[in-house]
Amino acid sequence: MPEAAIAVASLEKLFPPARSGWRAFLQPFEKPSVVALAGISFEVRPGEALALLGANGAGKSTLLKILATLLLPTHGHAQIAGHDAVLDPRAVRRQIGYHAGSDLGFYARLTGRQNLRFFGRLNHLSDAASAQRIALLSEQFHLGEALDRQLRTLSSGTVQRLSLARALLHQPHVLLLDEPTRSLDAIAASEFRRFLKSEVLSRGDTSLLFASHTLPEVEMLADRVAVIDAGRLVTCDTPAALKRTTNAASLEDAFMRLTGRSPHLTGEGTPE
Amino acid sequence: MTRSLRELWAFFWRDLSIARTYRTVFVLEALEALFGVAMFFYVARFVDSPQLRNALPQGGGYFAFSLIGFVFLDYLNAAMDTFDRSLEEARDSGTLEHLLVTQTSLPVILAGSAIYPFAVTTLRIAVYVAWGALFFGFPLRGANWLAVAAVLLATLLAFSGLGILSASYLLLFKRGNPAKWFLLGVSSVAGGMLFPISVLPDWLQIVARLNPVTYALDAMRAALLGGADVQAVWRPLIVLLIFSAVLLPLSMAVFSWALRRTKTTGTLMHR
Repeated sequence: MPEAAIAVASLEKLFPPARSGWRAFLQPFEKPSVVALAGISFEVRPGEALALLGANGAGKSTLLKILATLLLPTHGHAQIAGHDAVLDPRAVRRQIGYHAGSDLGFYARLTGRQNLRFFGRLNHLSDAASAQRIALLSEQFHLGEALDRQLRTLSSGTVQRLSLARALLHQPHVLLLDEPTRSLDAIAASEFRRFLKSEVLSRGDTSLLFASHTLPEVEMLADRVAVIDAGRLVTCDTPAALKRTTNAASLEDAFMRLTGRSPHLTGEGTPE
Repeated sequence: MTRSLRELWAFFWRDLSIARTYRTVFVLEALEALFGVAMFFYVARFVDSPQLRNALPQGGGYFAFSLIGFVFLDYLNAAMDTFDRSLEEARDSGTLEHLLVTQTSLPVILAGSAIYPFAVTTLRIAVYVAWGALFFGFPLRGANWLAVAAVLLATLLAFSGLGILSASYLLLFKRGNPAKWFLLGVSSVAGGMLFPISVLPDWLQIVARLNPVTYALDAMRAALLGGADVQAVWRPLIVLLIFSAVLLPLSMAVFSWALRRTKTTGTLMHR
């Protein structure tokens, strides 16, 4: 059986409580007590796409940041292609492409191309390979002339597309995308999903873990869906199985029922 | 090695490309340097006397002495500030996370962020000295440039350690630069920047002798004004290199620890 692309076992993350005033000075040394992840376990197989579905603050971004080596877990293990995110972060970083879900993260006075080339160099792409990949991704993401304009002159949707291009630039085996289509218009979002499905996931050697609030996106891209609520993994199954087991007509309905937000389950209002 | 050099070049190229979008800054800074040099020249003319010349280690007048002290302070400032400023900019622009998920190692990211600012500061020093030599008779003829370069490099290494320690503090506590405050504060009095340490009371002279800035300045003045070669300035060079050998690994360890701490507390991107 092939090694899991992503393996998460009993993963817990606690943060110190937020402080203000002079107490904020002590925060780096505070005992962590706020639960963000409470013992999550799952695996993503090579070539598989897994969606993280959960309300704001459920722990999706925390989970992605741990896998991207930007946060350290309190307990448990997170591995990418067999490499532990805590013990061997550099090996993990060789495998991943990360998109943080915001339109920050670029140098405002550099052009899109200069930004991509810089991050390509830090990911050990030769200039020739970088230029080739930038040309391809520019075509796929319709970056066009935006590529040669300074970042500060671009719309947030265009910067978001650049950020996705950056995550894919060095052809990583594992993609970690936090709300990849958040700032995109409907057409750009649809084209991105189509590109991801037909050009990246179809190759079979790239695994995808992404957080999203856009349910059609989840249904289109995800082989399985992990429903997270208050730091706990509620369930992890295919979209069809989730609907079937909750007797729901849609994924949205299934999600609401699984997280106890549905009037049907909470007893509020009229059952469907 | 080649890979690290390529990564370092990427950082230099990034900062140069950004700087090129602010072209007038170079011209304005060069003009500012000219006014600064003129000010030192006229202050020196006002205070210069035979007694003062005798008190200066290399002779050559107060203008040359004070100008070297001043530009050296600029260098020290850069070494102490660069890491802080790079970290702050990366945090505020959101690029910090994206730098840290690349395949480039932390020491290369830190060193890379400092190369361009150090190069610019070195250029600025050259501009100051050039204005001084061109218009105000700064004595350059006897300078030993190899020794000057060796002293600058040793100084850079020695004070970069303090700069990285300062960045570790910033990473954890988000504001402030106590190492810079302490070093520049002490050095402005007990470092021999604008007056020789021989005028200080005995106990402050002891403090000055414990301060690496004193050694760096002594060596710089000896190389630039006295024409001393590398062999002649080996003592201060060794002191600076010992300082670097202790501080650089220590500061890297502290920075790595601070980074781990922020990854534990989730405050990496907090301001």
